[in-house]
Amino acid sequence: MASLFSASLPSSDPSYSFNQAPTTASEPRQHAFYPYTDNGGSTLGISGADFTIIAGDTRSTSGYNINTRYAPKLFKIGGDGPNNENARIVLSVVGFAADGRALKERLDTVVKMYKYQHGKDISVHACAQRLSHLLYNKRFFPFYVTAILGGVDDEGKGALYSYDPVGSYEREQCRAAGAAASLIMPFLDNQVNLKNQYDPNSGPGLEKKPREAQPLPRETVEQLVKDAFTSAVERHIEVGDGLQTMIITKDGIQETYSPLKKD
Amino acid sequence: MPGFDFSNHNRNLALHAQGVPLPKATSTGTTIVGCLFDGGVVIAADTRATSGPIVADKNCEKLHYIAPQIWCAGAGTAADTEFTTALISSNLELHALSTGRKPRVVTVMTMLKQHLFRYQGHIGAYLVVAGVDPTGSQLFTVHAHGSTDKLPYVTMGSGSLAAMSVFETQWKGELTREEAVKICSDAIQAGIWNDLGSGSNVDVCVITAEKTELLRNYITPNVREQKMRDYKFAKGTTAVLNEKIITKEEISKYVTVQDIGDGEAGVGEKMEVDT
Amino acid sequence: MFIARSEYGRLFQVEYSLEAIKLGSTAIGVSTAAGVILGVEKRITSTLLETSSVEKIVEIDRHIGCAMSGLQADARSMIEHARVTSQSHEFHYNERLGVESCTQAICDLALRFGEGAEGEESIMSRPFGVALLIAGYDEEGPSLYHAEPSGTFYRYDAKAIGSGSEGAQAELQNEFHKSLTLEEAEVLVLKTLKQVMEEKLDSNNVQLASVTRDKGFRIHTDEEMAGVVSRLEGSGA
Repeated sequence: MASLFSASLPSSDPSYSFNQAPTTASEPRQHAFYPYTDNGGSTLGISGADFTIIAGDTRSTSGYNINTRYAPKLFKIGGDGPNNENARIVLSVVGFAADGRALKERLDTVVKMYKYQHGKDISVHACAQRLSHLLYNKRFFPFYVTAILGGVDDEGKGALYSYDPVGSYEREQCRAAGAAASLIMPFLDNQVNLKNQYDPNSGPGLEKKPREAQPLPRETVEQLVKDAFTSAVERHIEVGDGLQTMIITKDGIQETYSPLKKD
Repeated sequence: MPGFDFSNHNRNLALHAQGVPLPKATSTGTTIVGCLFDGGVVIAADTRATSGPIVADKNCEKLHYIAPQIWCAGAGTAADTEFTTALISSNLELHALSTGRKPRVVTVMTMLKQHLFRYQGHIGAYLVVAGVDPTGSQLFTVHAHGSTDKLPYVTMGSGSLAAMSVFETQWKGELTREEAVKICSDAIQAGIWNDLGSGSNVDVCVITAEKTELLRNYITPNVREQKMRDYKFAKGTTAVLNEKIITKEEISKYVTVQDIGDGEAGVGEKMEVDT
Repeated sequence: MFIARSEYGRLFQVEYSLEAIKLGSTAIGVSTAAGVILGVEKRITSTLLETSSVEKIVEIDRHIGCAMSGLQADARSMIEHARVTSQSHEFHYNERLGVESCTQAICDLALRFGEGAEGEESIMSRPFGVALLIAGYDEEGPSLYHAEPSGTFYRYDAKAIGSGSEGAQAELQNEFHKSLTLEEAEVLVLKTLKQVMEEKLDSNNVQLASVTRDKGFRIHTDEEMAGVVSRLEGSGA
């Protein structure tokens, strides 16, 4: 559809009023193989004092089309059996959905093998490092995804790790990824890490102290996540349909689904 | 001098060759439709305007006035549809004045196609032209390159396939006004839900021999829900580096100051804002 | 490759290698709450032998060490495998390899004289002729493992291997208790070695090492060795 509106620059060469210039039969034609597509959508994660929340919309797109209104971007990692019962780690992937699934399968296998080989559940810390290696191992044919990994660390604190497509990673308080990352991340910076906010009672002008970020209560975080997505849906065409949320605590993973606008 | 200014053309070609991309125009990635009925014609449009994947306007107007009983639905580059329809509207008025007759839809269609053909598709306007004139109810489509169609029901824009699926399953000859409005708004909704370039509300325009009805926001199925939290900041949250107060008396030396009061009534023109 | 089996399904090669270990020098490990002590006798076969070149206790990683008995040359490839496994684990998971996992990795290698489970070709013509005592300190605390050439391993509170193992194990059985301190364990290891060694024990013909939470794996220095020997003599044993 995009080609319908694309304007080409006028040039001195003879041009055609249609997209494809005719090619003679003898002329060699190059066919390119594009292994990647962008399936749109957005994810976000916020860690709290004793929990981590990860959320993603459930729309899958290609171009101006909707492939499905329910394609999960959040996956439980590890645990028991194909349904990952008793898992304590969640992986979210956004970008190219097929790569996301492949990455999730690999990480899940690795984490389950870890338990067989070492007789204990993997820590988020170790899982985070392993995920980084899975990504970097395909440095020159990358998984076209932005991953966010969430869980609860050895001390019982919420743990959140975010990745680039080739495995660079960092532990953070919050992260938005995917199509609407540039819309959601500034909101999170302001509301979670309290960026650009100063304590009103801490003096005049430059003497004002920046407000200190502290872990947010679960209810607040859930509200921020909901507002972030309903707002992203308003302004990004690839985000919508449904909101899948997973909250990881020491007691397990609580999964919820709520509808988003479908236009 | 009338017409387009091409003085930056060579510079822009050079910039483009150096890899500077073209500025992104607001595209009304759009679903627009039109349908004839017994005694008139209906056109309808969604209200989403996009810039790439970003929604530039959630409630824009894609139904453009040409003449009291001739209206146009526009898809493509927003500026092109707006300026082209405004230009043709203006010229048509002059034409009506000099001929002393009511303008005809076929005239509008002809003016549009000649204008667009001259610009070889560079004016990205894709239009549905509809109206009632002394020859009866008329419905046309005009493509950016200048080709036209005359059909009993039409769709255009990125949501045209979704919309056409509605027409191809539900359209029949001899529709009533109500049936035509229903089928058009259903077709637009098909675009709103299934085409990412289309969204928000349905605008409808019904034209009959007697009158023209613009049903702005005829259906609003995408009202934003209430936010969970309140995002008002405490006063003093923003650090202020310095403060300087200019009194009304001082500024009055340079401009005329008019007191309009604090109330709602005092505001000159209310701006459309997102809630 | 053909692997000889008896009519009762026993693997002769493995049994021979188990026998070979019984000829090796004695090695002892004792686990306490504070850490693990490893001790070996160095057979000084010649007065011209440079005793420091006899290496029977080695480091696998900062938190895992190992004592050996049997064909030392064979141990080299096992140790190398364990070191690589441990480094690889830390690289991939950013955490230390568990002591049991390390032992398992060594035992996986021990079986590679036959074809692998997934059809890997055999990489050795015969089983290893060496047994290991693997001592480590991980998140579960201190632990001591015994790995045999057969590829089996067990965890022990105290274990003796090598030529003097029968007598030494009986001694450990009598003397070991859960509330042993690290210092007491050092003395117990030396005392037990002393009983089964043919030569007279001194600070040159034995070697001790420890694995603790704070210091990880450490081989005792000459001064520390002398200290433990004098404590042993002081205890009247």
